[in-house]
Order: sequence, then structure tokens, then C-alpha cells
Amino acid sequence: MTDTLKIISQLIADKLEVDVETIKPESNLTELGLDSLDTFDIIFSAEDAFNIKVPNDKVDIATVQDVANLADSLISEQHPK
Amino acid sequence: MKRRVVITGLGIVSPLGNTPQLFFDNLIAGKSGIRRMTTDFIDKLDTKIAAYADFIAQDHFTRHQYSGMDRVSQFSLYAAQQAIADAKLDMESIDKTRTGVYLGTGMGGANSIEEGYVRLYRDGAERLKPFTVLMAMNNAACSQIGLEYKLSGPNLTFSTACSSSAVAIGEAMRQIRHGYTDVMLAGGSEALLTFGTIKAWEALRTLAKEDANDPGASCKPFAADRTGLVLGEGAAVLILEDFEHAKARGAHIYAEISGYGTANDGVHITSPTPEGQAVAIRGALNDAGLKPQDIGYINAHGTATMMNDNSETAAIRQVFAEFADQTPVSSTKSMHGHLMGAAAAVEMVATALALKHQILPPTINLHIPDEKCDLDYIPNVARKNVSVTHAMSNSFAFGGTGAVLILSKEVH
Repeated sequence: MTDTLKIISQLIADKLEVDVETIKPESNLTELGLDSLDTFDIIFSAEDAFNIKVPNDKVDIATVQDVANLADSLISEQHPK
Repeated sequence: MKRRVVITGLGIVSPLGNTPQLFFDNLIAGKSGIRRMTTDFIDKLDTKIAAYADFIAQDHFTRHQYSGMDRVSQFSLYAAQQAIADAKLDMESIDKTRTGVYLGTGMGGANSIEEGYVRLYRDGAERLKPFTVLMAMNNAACSQIGLEYKLSGPNLTFSTACSSSAVAIGEAMRQIRHGYTDVMLAGGSEALLTFGTIKAWEALRTLAKEDANDPGASCKPFAADRTGLVLGEGAAVLILEDFEHAKARGAHIYAEISGYGTANDGVHITSPTPEGQAVAIRGALNDAGLKPQDIGYINAHGTATMMNDNSETAAIRQVFAEFADQTPVSSTKSMHGHLMGAAAAVEMVATALALKHQILPPTINLHIPDEKCDLDYIPNVARKNVSVTHAMSNSFAFGGTGAVLILSKEVH
């Protein structure tokens, strides 16, 4: 599991007050109990955690892995090594 | 025949406790919920006293719940939960299309607005939390209750400053009386003790000076040495029910809401007039079919500002005439502070429990009488073993909207 995925999983677990072990990469956000607003909130927390800016139109995500992939692509785009 | 509307449940979050009984016990004991603030911005305040509610969201809600609600909505939802439990109302079996929520608030989600501004203007953030609008909007505290219980009856928020929750309760009563609904959750919520809001109130020069010997004694309604109001926070929600509906399910009845009158001064945005206030008081009496001599207790608006207390006293004298001297009046704001949009709702809890227990809460800190305030204000000590059948609760507001409610011990 990548660091990004670990941090995203922890953000979701914190929001839902569940054990992080229950959050799998393939877990569907809606099925976890997150509605569209909650998803925006996770994205907002990810912006703080990774110092990235998620464009307003770029929220086409369904799974935990999708959020991590989005974060990873923005990290490499906005903080090139 | 006119449908009668009764109170069957009470819930509260207040500076004097978060159950109706604890709140009332503290009122009767003459305790003050006003204290010195402990906030990190206290050094920048001229006024360092307020009436905070001891309320920690984590004690009552999951993180998922509370993180999407401003403090004002956390208060209102917790008060509603208590009121429903107190009324023993089965929320699954009631007709949700005939159950509504009316709530008053002055400042709505003040904490969320201010937190957003701090992030933007002070911290230079480029974005705000996604829930900011939903937490800050004025109707959030009301809609959260409707959402929690999936109620599809009317869900309306009233904002008339200090009389907001009196208007909400009065209008909710009319919804039932006129046959639109059978059950209403009605009250008010306020959580405005933010740096920006307190500074705005300071600028208006209506806040009380801190009592040098006892910060808890800073609010002195009707006293010659009064210096102004003390800001407070909290909420109260009442279950209002059609009398026949309540009777059919064997509900405990606290009191009937027998009268409601509302009127506007139409003169000045802050200065009240006895004439305008008297219109609201007469309106409530006419609505209840009662005469001044029928009223055994008045829970005053009694903010402890020079203007309000003089004007309210004169308004009571105008309407009650020769019966004014025999009518006990008290300002419980001396103890719980001024809860603004929630003030009338918590004062309705006080009035309903005063009727139930036949004990009248005092006006504390009243040691130096003011010649312009010459009624019986139940100074400093509660009055027990009274015989009160009908009680009145006054609320007046900046903007001029006054609202007066009358509670009756028995359905008459």
C-alpha cells in the first residue's frame, strides 16, 4: 500500500469513526456511507494533507483507490521532484 | 371549535444545564450561568463575561454527524432529541406529513461563517470547507431536526432577533390550531459567542459591565445599577401537539399555549416603545380570551438594558393598569443571560415548569430598586407555593418585533 493510499484511508476512517483496516482500496465510497458532500470533505482534507489543489471539476471518483490516484497525479503535477 | 395546542415535551441546552429539570432547579436556586470567558481572544475584548452552555458535541453525536453541523445545529438537534424522548413521541408511528419544525435563530451558523472568514482573510487560505454553506445557513438548525426524523411537514426558520423563538413557537401553535399539522417541534437555537459577534455587540454599547465582585452577578434586570445585557448561547425545543392528539396517546401535558400576540414598534430599530410592546401583550391576551387579572406570572423580556426595562415596565403598566402591582414579573435572563434567538424558547421552558411546579423563578441581582421599574419583580428569591393558572412570556427585539405567549395550566 502506498503512503498516499494509507493517508487517504486514514482520513476516511477518521471521518466515519471506523477502524482503518475496514477501508480497502477497492471500497466504494458510497457503500462505505459517504455521500457526495462527504467525498468533497475527504478531498478537502486531502488537499491539506498533501498540499495540493484539486480542480473543482476533477471529482470523478468512486473508490478509495480513485482518491489516492487523483492525489498522486496532482502531487506529481503540482510538486514535481 | 378551536383546536387546542398543548406542550407535551421539553428539551434544552443552556448555561444553567442541559436538561429542563436541572435548568429549572438552578433558576429556582437563583444560580447564575454567567461567568468570565476563557477564550483565547479574551484579551481583545472589553466585555469578558458571557453565558456559555457546557456542551461538547462528541458527547452526543458521532464525528460524522457533528462535523457537518455548526454548534447552533448541534444545540437544536440535541434539544429536539430530549423533547421527543420527554414527550414519549414514537417518531416512527406519527404522521410525518403532519409534523413540522419551526425554529428561531438570530445569527444562525455564526461560528462557521467566522471560521471561514478567518481561513480566508487571516490565514490566506484559498478554499473553504465544503460544508461551510450548509453549516452557516440560517435554516440549518431547523432543517437538521427535520432531516433526522424525516419529517415532511412545514420546516421554517424565523429570524426576528431577540424574539425569533417566540415567533417560531407562536406560529407553530397556529399551524396546529388552524389544522395544518398535528405536532410541531418548536423553539430556538443560538451559538454566537464568536470573537467577531461579541465585538459587534460591544460596538452597540448594550453589553453589561462585569460586576467587580462577582462576574456571575453582572446582569441586573430592573435594578438601578443595571448596565446592560449578557450574551448567552443555547437552545430549547418544545413539542407542541393538538390537544386531542395528545389525549388520544395518553401524553403528559405541561400546559396549553393559549395565547400568542405579535406586533411591531414601527418606530426605531433599537429603541422599544411601551405602546408597541403593549399591542403585542394585548394581542396575546385577546387571543387567549383572558383579562390582565387572569395572569399570575410574567416572564419578562428583562434584558437589563436601561431602555428595555423601563419600556417593558411601562408597557405592563399600560395593559395591566390597576392589576399591574399584583402581578409578579421576573427576568430569568439575570441567571441564564440573553440567548437571543433562543431566549424566548428557554424562557418558555422556565414558564412551563413554573406553572407545573407552582414556583416562580426570581430576578437575581436586584438589590437597588429603580424608580422607573416599580413592579413586583420577585427580587432575588424564588416564590414557592403560588397559585398561578395562566402565565405570560414577553419577548421584544431589535427591529421592533415583539411577541408574547401565554401558557395555561389546564386546557380551558
